[in-house]
Amino acid sequence: MGSGDGTPARGTPPAERLLNLVIALVNTSAAMTKQQVRSGVNGYGDAPSTEAFERMFERDKDTLRALGIPIVTVDAGGHSDEVGYRIDNDAYALGPVDLTPAELGVVALAAQLWSDKTLRTDMSRAMTKLRAAGAGEAATDAVAGLAPRVRAAGDAYVPLLEAVSERRDVSFRYRAASTGQVLTRHVEPWRIAARGSGWYLVGFDRARGAARVFRLSRIAGRVRVGARSGAFDVPAEVDVDAMLGERVGVTRRAVLAVVPERAQALRARVLRRPDGAADEGAQGEGAGGARRAARGRDVVEVEFRSLSAFADEVAAYGAAVVVLEPADLRADVVRRLSAAAALDASVDGEGNRG
Amino acid sequence: MAERADDRLVRLLGLVAYLDDAGPVEVEELAQRFGVSPRQVREDVDALWVSGTPGYMPDDLIDFDAFSLEDGVVALTQARGMTRPLRLGTREAVALVAALRAMHASPAVQADRGRAAVVASALDKLTAATGEAASAVDVRLAGDDDPQVMATVSGALTRGRRLHLRYVNAADVVSERDVDPARLVTQDGSTYLVGWCLRAGGRRTFRVDRILAARALDVPVEDHGLPGPGSSDDLGADVWGQVASRSAPAATLVLASAARWVAEEVPAESVRDLPDGSIEVRLRVTNPAWLRRLLLANGPDVVAVSPPEVARDAAEAARRALDAYALDDAAVEPAPGADPGNGSGGGLA
Repeated sequence: MGSGDGTPARGTPPAERLLNLVIALVNTSAAMTKQQVRSGVNGYGDAPSTEAFERMFERDKDTLRALGIPIVTVDAGGHSDEVGYRIDNDAYALGPVDLTPAELGVVALAAQLWSDKTLRTDMSRAMTKLRAAGAGEAATDAVAGLAPRVRAAGDAYVPLLEAVSERRDVSFRYRAASTGQVLTRHVEPWRIAARGSGWYLVGFDRARGAARVFRLSRIAGRVRVGARSGAFDVPAEVDVDAMLGERVGVTRRAVLAVVPERAQALRARVLRRPDGAADEGAQGEGAGGARRAARGRDVVEVEFRSLSAFADEVAAYGAAVVVLEPADLRADVVRRLSAAAALDASVDGEGNRG
Repeated sequence: MAERADDRLVRLLGLVAYLDDAGPVEVEELAQRFGVSPRQVREDVDALWVSGTPGYMPDDLIDFDAFSLEDGVVALTQARGMTRPLRLGTREAVALVAALRAMHASPAVQADRGRAAVVASALDKLTAATGEAASAVDVRLAGDDDPQVMATVSGALTRGRRLHLRYVNAADVVSERDVDPARLVTQDGSTYLVGWCLRAGGRRTFRVDRILAARALDVPVEDHGLPGPGSSDDLGADVWGQVASRSAPAATLVLASAARWVAEEVPAESVRDLPDGSIEVRLRVTNPAWLRRLLLANGPDVVAVSPPEVARDAAEAARRALDAYALDDAAVEPAPGADPGNGSGGGLA
């Protein structure tokens, strides 16, 4: 496979050969054998040898199936082993969609969500099909000004999606975040998810005997997809957010001492008056805050879920925000700051305390 | 570059199905509908004209009215059974349904009830037509934007009204400004307002979760020649243009493997895996405050920083912060001016 000599230098263009194959397989009364395709369908007579024809026909079938064209194989006749091909006419057609112009506008915008070249190609084809289904002119007023985008998922997306859809297991080389080591992982893939700026695979890690999350950008090299479909069952409930740690534990409250006028983005999240304003002085003094008001600073209460993510955010404000409570958050922030305070230690003597 | 055969095939089949249903259609209109040139439509018609069922005698072929075509109208007279629109492939259906779901759940859509209803009905129809439940792919566009800010911004965008914003930038500096909104961009988990800032006299990008307050003014937006909705200009430049630029000074960070996400989320110029599992990230940062914050938050995972000024700047800010903690422990008023580099975030929206 793949020697590339299957396509004749001249003759029927590939798109027209594919078109004639589709028309032939839609209109055939029972089915067509390979031989009938080769001798009957425009474009296949160009193949210089049986091998070249076989390659061409196999590739064309794959292409058509990828486009959603349902090619099925049937026994060609009682007294022969030969397989026949036809298109399942019931499965061929798009169900009635009947999109209003506003809805088509929404769909056209959704089609622009993806950044990967493969997905963008898929989407432009999907839009061609929907437009062919007779939808009117797209009206974009309903979604005027919106531009939703997700970052490119990368090369792993297509094989992983195939594996998830057909419940095939996968293996891939994966770079562990903790150690940087690259190891082969065997996974039953359940879901592909995009959160924040990352793409993730959620699935069952065979070697570890437990559900795991993998970041697609850390997959090194190709994803190998298992031969057997329906190889495992996906749990009825897959809570992607819980697995990504976005909803771990409960919402907690932190008490912070903030330099006046500073950390506005943080303040704005905390206490929001019903009219949407977040004016100076609107920060209420919660029960915890009043207790230990640091003079010269505003004491505010903020809700957080992920300790480490919130510690990152607070540490980034430097001296402008001091954590009063809880103690574990305070310790986490101090740990970050202590490490950062040593960043110039190895440079040379001159940067020290001053 | 030549068009891919599969893309052209989908359009050829689509043309037949559409024309069978719609009746005679002008070449120009077909070109617009299928997003190709009128010349391409004519080439497609020529290709269809010689295609059909084996035998390829005149009665076997797809046929058009030749006289109409001379007048620039495509009239299908024989479809050879290809009258039904082709269904979506699995990948197409999964991606489209997942995108609609993500849009439906996004704050920018939820901020407007009418908008949410249109997205919901499009999603319902697509799901029904494709039979695709799309549980294979799960996309969430953005998190916790203030619904009121979002409603105000999105309403002003829809009605073409100028906005008055109270905004805090990445350097923690608050400003008030009037903005003519152009687009709401959702990317990498955040929502951004792209608009014309009247104070700056230029195009600016604002993170919606840093808009402290928004008010729609009774002033219609002016045309500033900003790219409109649906334009696909470089959103990355919108989003990152404020902290990174090719001409800015370079900084190099060596990070422990645990901080790999940093390399994945910031506009790195280059990323190199080092033999011990750590990574070297090279950045060009226009805004020193942004880099300082990055280092403060990730101190334990930062192995080395160069140039030394950058390390010193972050370390000094960290020491000031630790002093504030020490003061708090002693229950003493914090020293005035214990406040890292405010005002160094010039150039930010």
